[in-house]
Amino acid sequence: MRTNKSHLFIAILCACLMVISFAIPVFAQETDPTPDSPTPILLSESNSTRALAVNPRKSRGLNATKAVSQAFSVGKKSKVVLYLTNLDLLPDEGANAFRVYAQDEKGTQFQLRVESIDQITKGQDGIFALTVTIYDDLGYWGQPAAAGDVLINVTWRGLTSNRVRLGLGKIGGGIKDDADAVPTPVGAKPAVKGNEPTPNYVGYRQSGDRIRFLEQATFGPTTELDSRIRRIGLRTWLAEQFEAGYPSVRYPEVPAQPTVAPLLCNGSSNAASTPPDPVDEPINCFRDSYSQYLPQNWFFQEAFYGNAQLKHRVSWALAQIWVTSGVDIQQSSHIVNYHMILSNNAFGNWRTLMKEMTLSPTMGEYLNMNTSTRNSPNENYAREVLQLFNIGLFMLNQDGTVQVDGTGTPIPSYDQNTVNNFTKVLTGWANCNVPASCPNATLGIQNYKDPMWLNTGANHDITAKTLFSYAGSTATTNIAACTGCTGTALVNYANTSLDKALDNVFNHPNVPPFVSKLLIQQLVTGNPTPAYVQRVANVFANNGSNVRGDLKAVVRAILLDPEARGNTKTDANYGKLREPVLLTTNLMRQFGVKSADGLANSDGYINPQSANMGQSVFRTPTVFNYYPPDYLVPGTTVLAPEFAIMTTGTSVQRANFVNQMVYGRIAVSALAPFGTSINLAEMQALATADATGNRLLDALNFKLMHNTMPTAMRTSILTAVAAATTPLAKTQAAIYLIATSSQYQVQR
Amino acid sequence: MKQNRREFIAKTGCALSMVSLATQVSHFGVMSAMAQKADDESVQTDAPSDYRALVVLFMSGGNDGNNMVIPNHSDANLSNYAAYTTARGTQGLALAQNTLLPIAVPRMGNLSYGLNPNLGPLPTGVNNINNGIHELWGLGKMAIVPNVGTLFAPMTRTQYQTNAVRRPFQLFSHSDQVSQFQAGRSDVKSLTGWGGRTSDRRATADNPNGLVPMITSISGSQLFTAGQTTSPLAIAAAPAGLNTVLAMGGFGTSAAEVARRAAFDGLRTQDLSQNLVKAASYITDQAVSANLALANFQEVTVPFPTTGIGNQLKQVARLIKKRTDLSINRQIFYVQIGGFDTHTGQLAAQSTLLGQMSQAVRSFYEEMVTQGISDKVTTFTMSDFARTFNPAGSGSGSVGSDHAWANHMMVFGGAVTTSDFYGVNTSNGTPFPTLVQNGPDDSDSGTSARGRWIPTTSIEQYTGTLAKWFGVSAADLPFVFPNIGNFPTNRDLGFLGAP
Repeated sequence: MRTNKSHLFIAILCACLMVISFAIPVFAQETDPTPDSPTPILLSESNSTRALAVNPRKSRGLNATKAVSQAFSVGKKSKVVLYLTNLDLLPDEGANAFRVYAQDEKGTQFQLRVESIDQITKGQDGIFALTVTIYDDLGYWGQPAAAGDVLINVTWRGLTSNRVRLGLGKIGGGIKDDADAVPTPVGAKPAVKGNEPTPNYVGYRQSGDRIRFLEQATFGPTTELDSRIRRIGLRTWLAEQFEAGYPSVRYPEVPAQPTVAPLLCNGSSNAASTPPDPVDEPINCFRDSYSQYLPQNWFFQEAFYGNAQLKHRVSWALAQIWVTSGVDIQQSSHIVNYHMILSNNAFGNWRTLMKEMTLSPTMGEYLNMNTSTRNSPNENYAREVLQLFNIGLFMLNQDGTVQVDGTGTPIPSYDQNTVNNFTKVLTGWANCNVPASCPNATLGIQNYKDPMWLNTGANHDITAKTLFSYAGSTATTNIAACTGCTGTALVNYANTSLDKALDNVFNHPNVPPFVSKLLIQQLVTGNPTPAYVQRVANVFANNGSNVRGDLKAVVRAILLDPEARGNTKTDANYGKLREPVLLTTNLMRQFGVKSADGLANSDGYINPQSANMGQSVFRTPTVFNYYPPDYLVPGTTVLAPEFAIMTTGTSVQRANFVNQMVYGRIAVSALAPFGTSINLAEMQALATADATGNRLLDALNFKLMHNTMPTAMRTSILTAVAAATTPLAKTQAAIYLIATSSQYQVQR
Repeated sequence: MKQNRREFIAKTGCALSMVSLATQVSHFGVMSAMAQKADDESVQTDAPSDYRALVVLFMSGGNDGNNMVIPNHSDANLSNYAAYTTARGTQGLALAQNTLLPIAVPRMGNLSYGLNPNLGPLPTGVNNINNGIHELWGLGKMAIVPNVGTLFAPMTRTQYQTNAVRRPFQLFSHSDQVSQFQAGRSDVKSLTGWGGRTSDRRATADNPNGLVPMITSISGSQLFTAGQTTSPLAIAAAPAGLNTVLAMGGFGTSAAEVARRAAFDGLRTQDLSQNLVKAASYITDQAVSANLALANFQEVTVPFPTTGIGNQLKQVARLIKKRTDLSINRQIFYVQIGGFDTHTGQLAAQSTLLGQMSQAVRSFYEEMVTQGISDKVTTFTMSDFARTFNPAGSGSGSVGSDHAWANHMMVFGGAVTTSDFYGVNTSNGTPFPTLVQNGPDDSDSGTSARGRWIPTTSIEQYTGTLAKWFGVSAADLPFVFPNIGNFPTNRDLGFLGAP
């Protein structure tokens, strides 16, 4: 028997190895190019940092002799041509890939309107003419004064150029050049591109970019994942992840309960009451059934230990778009079923996700579609499926920028009338509580597993509906009234109408840029360039095989885009604040998260810490998620959604969380059967080996900051490390200081 | 005991506050001016002599004002109880007349109106620790401003229907209507709030030492609190003590710990050319700085309910009690109670929330009386929008209502002139709208009109009255409310007495 078993085992092992050995060469054909884009260089005069700049009405081509020192006026009609070199543009990469900033002597920053970019000389050091209007469209700080020189820089793909002087109104003024500024005349050598791999390498050697990629695609880098990507590259890893089994930790399996908690599951007991209220059976029935305790613990366990990291991460991003919340949805089983829809479709098609979410009983409960009837319609879901999940309030260009009318006013994408029409389409659905019709229906308990259905269609509005009209939509996409239809015909009419309406939304031109931008903000950077949004939106609209809404292709496009990739990003506005969940999971994963005693896995009971920082998993305060996607950092024009929950209060909670985990742990308690701790042994060994702390700092700089720690920061931390007396104290001080620093908390 | 910032820093013996100061200077103009002023020994600072505070009570989700203030009369010339129950009774959303809490309204010819029953004493056992806000009406400490909403300019129903006057953008959408209420303008998406802009104009004069910002939110970051040059404190609600909400844990007194603290504070002064890094450091810096100022506090004496809103207002009351220590003349507070988006199950949900609100506001009012400054502190409501007069769904357990527009607002405090309705008249000659679907105040039309009242009093007029009382000058009014020029009359609705 034993022998047979071994044979069987070996046979299976061989079969597996064969699959793997066949699979890898297929994946490996997708090689990874160098991730770094060149750093753009703004050209200056030969003997100063004054920009080579001309008035486009006088000259379009580069004529260095004509580009003499001159001042420019400020205003909507004042244009200037600047010259850029050291670019490597994609075929369709245009003006919306660039942002131009001007800083005045007082330090105020203005963002200038970019009009066009034209290549004027070809070859290795090709020169591009960048036409800019000296006008800040947002005008948060008004317009720059015509009071002398400002410093101009250009950003592209998360990289900033050098800064050059441009005279506004007049030449001169008190503004000082950057400390490292040098003239950058035509023909000057382009700066080194950065971390160039040696020609005969195997694997993905871009160490900084590997860590950055893992911060974007997972719940935090680990040594193991870093090694794997080093060996197989980003593209092959993505291909693996698209097929990886999910979840690694089983979803909590809690049976659905009645809406009103029964005596055996209400969290209280009183033998003396009439009737007697017994102790919960099973013991924590109320907590497990009627709160999000189990889904939250599961979520963090899966984030800590799951293999399908990318699917878990994209599902979390989708959960912050298609929001439901345990604040209103009591039962954990309902939230689990909702999350299953997200994860099942995370690498599927957006249109399928739209329908499954529309008919999700959890969403139906959260946004009231399950009680919307033709006589008492409820607009809630109809409004949000347009406003928050798919279309947005204003007409968008394919690059996600808002379309405006002749007066500069944004053009609304719909009005109350549109909401009313979609509301009509969405009337009549309810939970399927008929055991004979739906496999998971149980008498007396709301069925949250099967999609909502129309029992008879009697509650469906059968009048005509006018849907969106846009290029490509036709009058036939409107829905005609159903005259005299009853029974099966009525149910069929309602279901057909639903598909028509969802198609009508799905094909709206706003959907690709709207959804793409939200996903980029979730995964990579809060303030993507319109060009980045456009590249991803193009993939959303068509994955290359004429399929719209292919999320696998969209996720790949987001993560492999040149604006996402690169060892280092230097644009001052690039990146995102680590949201509490990701701050938590990154820190835990980076240091081998375990149970409180370090011997077993963590139980995942860490949501209270995240909630303290403003993000309780599966309990968003409202349908508007934890933070709005259009939140700007106060005092700037920089989109940074996560800053909406970064307050004086939560900033302290973030530091205190790091303090708790670095200097302590989450102890075992009734709610935390195993507790949670991190393991500093590996780092401590480095502090032991090198008491100066330099080796420790090298390792932490790589792990946590992908080798971008500024020199001053390193010096400050080394001073504190030197003052600590034991290797453990040195390690703790270093990790505490990095993890609490804004330089780390902003993921770049 | 007067104390300017320099003395304060010296007394706490804490060098890190200088770090805070340094980064503040680099961040904001006003902060910078403030810090310089405090550093100048010749500047005298005064204890608050004419303290005043505004407390925003935001009813998040869109409170159904139609079930908060209800006609309780049978006058045939105005919408009466019968009109109300006709529209709302069939689907089960009408409140029984004998449960309403009556108020006599001078502006309405002393006709009786009714407050939602939960604004009075609650059944025992439901956090019933006082008699609620209904009594404040009798005491003359409560005003109601009916039919308030977002407007670009005054607008009749015809003008609405023909688009003759520009409409606020994205009516009926939560996020946009909330932000317009908080921004104090309805024409564009604003990056700052009217509270923040008030602080921009008043901080230098009224908060010269800047120990804490002029605005405190007990409910996270809010557009309302964002200024162009000033930013708010945001702290957790009670029961957390003021001395704990911003306390940074884990620092001991050994040389190693002092060195770590120095590095911790030092890192916030680095890499400020990176805008996101700078923003995060600035917020943390403000927390560190304010934590010093809040190191000790006195507990309030009046009992507060232990609800979310009760705990928020309790925290406000503690801060107000500390006003002399903080040497601040003017403060603005933001508290929020959520859950008013009652598309379904409204009867139970709204009454619970109104009960919590009423109990908490009453405790807060009594605490202000105890502190002797009830006439210096004015609490007022804002909300996303009202809800459709026509219910959504049916049946007392599930009936709710959808998003609408003009709503009834409440103002509480000793500064209230007299308990009455205030605001601009609707077409019926009173400030209370005509409760008829497809009627003269409905923005909806046709047979499926659902009763979304067109506002007659703009948020600029409503909150402008509050801002004026607070001390915003006529000259600063256009900065705080950019579209105030569209409302040349009724800029002071008269519900607050002259300061």
